[in-house]
Amino acid sequence: MKEPLKTVIVEPGKPPIIEPGHTFASVTDKISSVVLTRRTPRGWYLGFGVSFVLVMVLLYALGKLMVVGTGIWGVNHPVGWGFAIINFVWWIGIGHAGTLISAILLLLRQEWRTSINRFAEAMTLFAVACAGIFPLIHVGRPWLPYWLFPYPNTMGLWPQFRSPLVWDVFAVSTYATVSLLFWFVGLIPDLATLRDRSRRQLPRVIYGILAMGWRGSAMHWHRYEMAYLLLAGLSTPLVLSVHTIVSLDFAVSIIPGWHATIFPPYFVAGAIYAGFAMVLILAIPIRAIYRLEDFITLRHLDNMAKIILVTGLIVAYGYMMEAFMGWYSANPYEEYMVLNRMRGPYAPLYWALIACNALAPQVFWLKRARSSIPVLFIIAIIVSIGMWLERFIIVVTSLHRDFLPSSWGMYYPTVWDWATFLGTTGLFVSLIFLFVRFLPMISIFEMRTILPQARVEE
Amino acid sequence: MIHDASLPEAELQQFQKRSLLVGIVGLALCGAGMLFNREEFFRSYLLAYLFWIGIALGCLAIVMLHHLSGGAWGIVIRRLLESATRTLPLMALLFLPIVFGLSHLYEWARPEALGDKILRHKSLYLNVPFFLVRAALYFAAWIAVVYFLNKWSLKQDQTAAPSLSRQLELLSGPGLVIYGATMTFASIDWVMSLEAHWFSTIYGLSFMVGQVLGAFAFVIAVAILLSSRKPLSEVISSEHLHDLGKLLLAFVMLWAYLAFSQFLIMFSGNLPEEIPWYIRRQQGGWRWIGLLLILLHFALPFLLLLSRSLKRDAKKLLAVAALVIAMRFVDLLWQVSPAFHPEGFHFNWMDLAAPAGIGGIWLASFARQLKGRPVLPLHDPFFQEAVQHGRE
Repeated sequence: MKEPLKTVIVEPGKPPIIEPGHTFASVTDKISSVVLTRRTPRGWYLGFGVSFVLVMVLLYALGKLMVVGTGIWGVNHPVGWGFAIINFVWWIGIGHAGTLISAILLLLRQEWRTSINRFAEAMTLFAVACAGIFPLIHVGRPWLPYWLFPYPNTMGLWPQFRSPLVWDVFAVSTYATVSLLFWFVGLIPDLATLRDRSRRQLPRVIYGILAMGWRGSAMHWHRYEMAYLLLAGLSTPLVLSVHTIVSLDFAVSIIPGWHATIFPPYFVAGAIYAGFAMVLILAIPIRAIYRLEDFITLRHLDNMAKIILVTGLIVAYGYMMEAFMGWYSANPYEEYMVLNRMRGPYAPLYWALIACNALAPQVFWLKRARSSIPVLFIIAIIVSIGMWLERFIIVVTSLHRDFLPSSWGMYYPTVWDWATFLGTTGLFVSLIFLFVRFLPMISIFEMRTILPQARVEE
Repeated sequence: MIHDASLPEAELQQFQKRSLLVGIVGLALCGAGMLFNREEFFRSYLLAYLFWIGIALGCLAIVMLHHLSGGAWGIVIRRLLESATRTLPLMALLFLPIVFGLSHLYEWARPEALGDKILRHKSLYLNVPFFLVRAALYFAAWIAVVYFLNKWSLKQDQTAAPSLSRQLELLSGPGLVIYGATMTFASIDWVMSLEAHWFSTIYGLSFMVGQVLGAFAFVIAVAILLSSRKPLSEVISSEHLHDLGKLLLAFVMLWAYLAFSQFLIMFSGNLPEEIPWYIRRQQGGWRWIGLLLILLHFALPFLLLLSRSLKRDAKKLLAVAALVIAMRFVDLLWQVSPAFHPEGFHFNWMDLAAPAGIGGIWLASFARQLKGRPVLPLHDPFFQEAVQHGRE
């Protein structure tokens, strides 16, 4: 009676995660040709050029900052945390989707992650790089960052371990290190493929060095799988811990609008939310330009839209609880903080944030919206803007009206604030351009494993 | 192939009878207790009620999570979960004693509350008529969702129409939103407002995670107990237990994460409007109960569930599940009772009689629901795949 059960039903009723008709060779050709043989499209030069100009803007803004000091920014009493913190939280949040896709979805055996994990991880790294700039320059003396670490010194200087800002130093540096390792380890077999397939000497040497002598022996694969799984296990808590600690930067204080117990889960959900929006923003043009629709299918986009919907609902739940508890607390400052957000000078930004983050993604309840590329792209951009506005509202509106009306004030970003922010987006985009040009943006060997040919009958 | 998916009737019948007996004796004792100590009766009753309805509602959340996410783990326990959700109309009935005890339980429900400035502010929300209207709304929403989830699931058994799976999925999305919204406010109404000055924005979320954790432990225990008999013995394998064990571990961690987040933020804020909640829970014996929670609600199950072989061993997993169920009760005790006994640990005999009373009746109702329908969703389009998953 056991026999009939032997027929394996491969996910009945679900659309494929790779279009039919591909072979091991065609997958390898298609992905590696972007790096090795295909002509670099003119759009690449244009896009890279524009974003590189923005990198120059960033360098100019940072140069000016070094010479003059943080006075060129809009931060002042009472809003001492302006763009630097807003952008730091925004960028670090974006990185979380990459870690979630590469680590948690791997552990959950979600095979559809395979075609998006490589560039999502790259996105994580570049986003963390952009994020790291901000606290570094916000300390005012970026040439002394090692003071943040506990090391014996003649100044008798020791970090204040009760401050979440110090926890941040450890959380973010761990995050950056583990993400880099994870990404690089995942690249090794593909770097070896590029080494073997490139026809010119220089790329062969460079990819050869990076491939660290990978020969694809059974022993290599065995160790590789082990290392990859261990790194996935190590990365999983980082998805939660990094943004939890970022949320504690605010919540551990006693400022109304910051001191809320919902902050840790709500920040983590917001980070994943913004991160998946960014993955969509990157994936949609990349799959169109490089004709990767076979690999990044509508099913991928549909799944990501669902994750955006779920995390968006958690974020909306956070807004609801903040507003309700603002009233329920019966604390006049808490209540005023909520009303000030809704009706104060920054009210348009608050309502824009609600429209972007709580309302817009609700269209993803509809299957039609989840399978329409323009809708996905537009909503992803709206969500990215909404999540930036959220950090603006949290940072600025909680500070700008202090307990005493004598300590009230407005915060306006200066041109240097904007230049630094735009500059980091330029840095992010140019790194992405370099990545798609010089490295396989989709994991070649993992794509081969999800082909039907790779399924070994027992 | 499995054709008969009904459980051994006689055994369940016996279990149902015994549970009912325990329930009636427990509630009778509580009724007698009420005559002597009305206050303590309502306190114990509320605690017991929260524990058992938490399992039923947690099962409701898990069913809907499963309809949305899919997975072999959910198919093999789906009918157990559904049977637990069908006890909700009974739980609505059992809510009635609380309605009569509001002024004993909640300071805001007493007339002198209007003398307190903060309670006067909150009286717009925390007042008896609105409390009752909200409770009625919660139950109406839950029972409506439960009704359709069960109706379509049963229909799938009869007609084998795969389209019903899609229908269940479509209901589960909004269903979870409804559960999240109603349970958040139910937790504020029923538990948080016991200390009406206190508030915490994470409270609803961590209360729901507690319910889901308790429900996972409960359903794992039931699945293991039933897996020694046909027809579950032919389906549930160590592969399924492994998956369920992982989910239990995930929720143990999530519970600890949320509980610790709230603690850390309130501890470092140290504000007079928040910290009294923790001060009360660190006085006298409550401190040891708190420590017990850290050790037995988090550390021990966490460490045990890390082991792969433990998750695949039915007996050991059953022991961990039983520990988690017991600790869910201790957690609720630690959340609820210090509100009445801030001076230190207090345990009334009714704190045992009431859970036994409500629990006996609840389990009898659960067993009756379990008998009434096939214990496996044979016509779920993914059923064969789920069985196959267990044999890999």
